[in-house]
Amino acid sequence: MTVAAARPPGGPGAEMPAAQAAVLARYDELAALLAGMDDRPGADPGLTAEAAPVLLHEARLLDAGRFEDWLEGWTSDAVLWLPLSAQAHPGTDQSLLLDDRRRLAERVDWRREPSAWGQHPPSRTTRVVGSIEAWAAADGLVARSSLLIDEYRHGRHQALAGYQIHELVGDGLRRRTKILVVPALGTGVRNPSFLL
Amino acid sequence: MTADSGTAPADFDYLVQPHRVHRRIYTDPQIFELEMTRVFAASWCYVGHESEIPAPGDFRTTTLGLRPVLMTRGRDGAVNVLLNRCTHRGTVLAAEASGCAKRFVCPYHGWTFAPDGQLVAIPFPADHAVEDHSTLSLGRLATATYRGFVFATLNAEPEPLDCWLGEAREAFDAIVDRHPGGDIAVMGSPHLLEFVGNWKLSWDNAADGLHATFAHESYNTLGEMVDTETVLARDPGTTPMVSKALRNGHMVVDQRPGIPQGPWATMRRVPYREPLENALIDAGDESLLDLATGSMINLSLFPNLLFVGNQLLVIEPVAVDRTRLQLWLTSAPGAPPEIDLLRLRVDEDFVNFGTPDDLDMFERVQRGLSIPEMEWIDMSRGLPDSAAPDGDATIYGPITSEAPQRRYLAHYAKLMTTPTATRAL
Repeated sequence: MTVAAARPPGGPGAEMPAAQAAVLARYDELAALLAGMDDRPGADPGLTAEAAPVLLHEARLLDAGRFEDWLEGWTSDAVLWLPLSAQAHPGTDQSLLLDDRRRLAERVDWRREPSAWGQHPPSRTTRVVGSIEAWAAADGLVARSSLLIDEYRHGRHQALAGYQIHELVGDGLRRRTKILVVPALGTGVRNPSFLL
Repeated sequence: MTADSGTAPADFDYLVQPHRVHRRIYTDPQIFELEMTRVFAASWCYVGHESEIPAPGDFRTTTLGLRPVLMTRGRDGAVNVLLNRCTHRGTVLAAEASGCAKRFVCPYHGWTFAPDGQLVAIPFPADHAVEDHSTLSLGRLATATYRGFVFATLNAEPEPLDCWLGEAREAFDAIVDRHPGGDIAVMGSPHLLEFVGNWKLSWDNAADGLHATFAHESYNTLGEMVDTETVLARDPGTTPMVSKALRNGHMVVDQRPGIPQGPWATMRRVPYREPLENALIDAGDESLLDLATGSMINLSLFPNLLFVGNQLLVIEPVAVDRTRLQLWLTSAPGAPPEIDLLRLRVDEDFVNFGTPDDLDMFERVQRGLSIPEMEWIDMSRGLPDSAAPDGDATIYGPITSEAPQRRYLAHYAKLMTTPTATRAL
């Protein structure tokens, strides 16, 4: 089901403003990218090799707390989405977060606020990226990879696992889309504000 | 199926005093165990919303004082709240969070139950000594609904739900009635957040008007960066916002008097706000934008339901020092679809930039309360309370008053010292 088709604003026959239609189309695009991942064929070896250093670099920046540098790697129409399940749709289901470029920047500001107690002192994280696969996409590639995140904070430890989907575009393979699926979000995790 | 909840392991007159409470009520596993019956089984607790189980056979699982329970829609359309336990060997019947089932078949030995809990089949019945299957129905909780919200209790003689809600109905109605047609629904798939702390820490926080200034300073700073005065950024010493301590431990913080410009003006620019907002304005529905954010009434129904923003926050105790929070998002089926689309992004705002601070405070407090030599938690702010002669009337105070905490804890102490028979029907 697509939001754009199922929920025409203003009732049947009403024409949706273009800006609003674009939002719903982006939501549908995100849901389709997530839902269709398991149907993809085996990966393209060349594109997989191209994607790997970009994914590993991102993981290194996040583990190092280099959030401003990380922010540079996003396009202006970027979306970071953390759904609560692999069946979710951003227009009908709660998400842990769905950030546009503006909220991504706010998130980096928040991480720098000394009174953001949920991340001060900050989580120490170690990301392990594996099982990288990539396929051709318009203006770039789509990559899927597995992710282990080990978090240590306040003398306590939690380990989460999941997978991430990246849409990387342009010559610099900048992040236009990132979807991070962490199944434990559906069963109960401690303060997940380290997840990016 | 009647259980006596036993004798109190502690002197609650000593542990819960008018101006201070003892650390033990947050750290003692024996007290926690007694709470699961005297507070959670003996009170009405929120289980779910009718909109989550629209069709016969729809079900959802949760816990009530650690007990696995099952909310179902029967073939007759009635809502049932059942103990999620096969009456044969005790197997939990439904392991999924939600679903639709014509029958619940126990995976262990095949006993089969209808959605209303009736035992409808046992394999190889000729071998079975019990002929009257009606004695082997699933345990059933007393169930009542208010405005579509389903509450249940194991109390053998429960107070009628309307009486138990009492003065809280005014805020409850205001929260529901702001939705066009009084039509409010609950979306599936909650956030599930856990903290290493006692469940009462989240209750203490629910009507705490002072913490917003300190614990949520970073949230307010994000607002200041874009010239938005968040609802939490108001001076708690001078704001005309009101806190209320109600009977039965219920609490209200009414923020409406402190935000004359209305709820929507307190929100930062959430992702994709402008296209959806403009669509509503162009359609002449600008006045509905307030629906995209909360009612600005924080209503807490003791012991397990908080209305915060457009969320239902359900408090699920796991252990004396472990709590799970279920954060459900409500929708407005009678409003234009832009409202729910905006709600989804508004919902994430505090979950990301406010809730982590609360979770951190709860865990810090639990660690601090581990110190045996420091016994007391001060709750004297705003004393003396102006209690009415009958002791039952609402106590009003500024939002810096700790009257709501004092009053819910007095109710808590009363429950903990009252042996109450609990039973499954």
